[in-house]
Amino acid sequence: MRPALRAVLGFALGFALWRAGTPAYDRLLADTAEPLLRLLERPAATRLYAEDRRIVVDRADFASRSERPSLPADDLTLNVILLASLAATRRRLLRDRGVLALAAALGALGLTHVVALVCAVKALYATQLGEWSTANYGPLSRNLWVGATHFYRVAGCWAIAFGLWWGLVRRGISGGDGPPGRPPTPRGSRRASRPRGRG
Amino acid sequence: MPFTEQIVAVSAAALRALGEPVLAEGTQIRSPGFAVDVKNGCNGVEAMLILVAAILAFPATARSRFLGIAAGTLVIQAANLVRVVSLFWLGAHHRELFDAFHTAVWQTALLLVAVGLFVFWTRRAGARAARA
Repeated sequence: MRPALRAVLGFALGFALWRAGTPAYDRLLADTAEPLLRLLERPAATRLYAEDRRIVVDRADFASRSERPSLPADDLTLNVILLASLAATRRRLLRDRGVLALAAALGALGLTHVVALVCAVKALYATQLGEWSTANYGPLSRNLWVGATHFYRVAGCWAIAFGLWWGLVRRGISGGDGPPGRPPTPRGSRRASRPRGRG
Repeated sequence: MPFTEQIVAVSAAALRALGEPVLAEGTQIRSPGFAVDVKNGCNGVEAMLILVAAILAFPATARSRFLGIAAGTLVIQAANLVRVVSLFWLGAHHRELFDAFHTAVWQTALLLVAVGLFVFWTRRAGARAARA
């Protein structure tokens, strides 16, 4: 099967799994990011929970009747579809090395989702909570968290999926072949073809 | 955004050709039952920039790079036109599908097109470099 067709199948499968798995995955994401956020704050007051494909941000010091802000979780996690599509282009994906490489890539992608959620919540704290934000976050930290969040949404989430495919899945399956456009170099051929009598 | 307004004008013309009673106003496409505002993230520029950055970073001749960027830009903008038109049509006729296609399907598909174009171009550029 041609790589383009495999990519389309991977895309469809990745989209279906992402769509179906998101509610449970969002809960796991919230439960994992919450302790990290609490490590970064004094007093530790953040509470995260998933609701309707969004991550709701609650704090112990919010007024009990105030509305809870929330973040769209889909924006953080949809790069898994790109990774699935790219991974599907590899012929030996479902063999041992392929499955291991894909599992490692998905695990690493999950970690980046946790970090992205932490940055998104900090960006929300730094800019969206009025006087509380200006009292607790200076210009540097505001720019840091908002910049990190914006970078992730515009380019970072795609670059991470592409990088994991390139570095783990593609190389993991092919055993480290060269960049596209150059045929894989057979073992030992580099040494054999090197001109003699130099150096 | 003059660039986005041009995309909106072309998309509205395509939708009218498909029988949709739409009007283009700045960056908005309106019909009696539905309207969209095409923002920066939906004009294909991000995918174009990622492709351009990748092509410029890959070792190749200036001619190869120019051809890759020019052809890649055209293909991405053509795909983005299909994206805007199909999203409007989905919003007008199958509203329940709009969010999923807007958030996930088309964003990922456009990036996949950019990655596919890059891989295709690297193979051509690599083969040309090998012949030279």
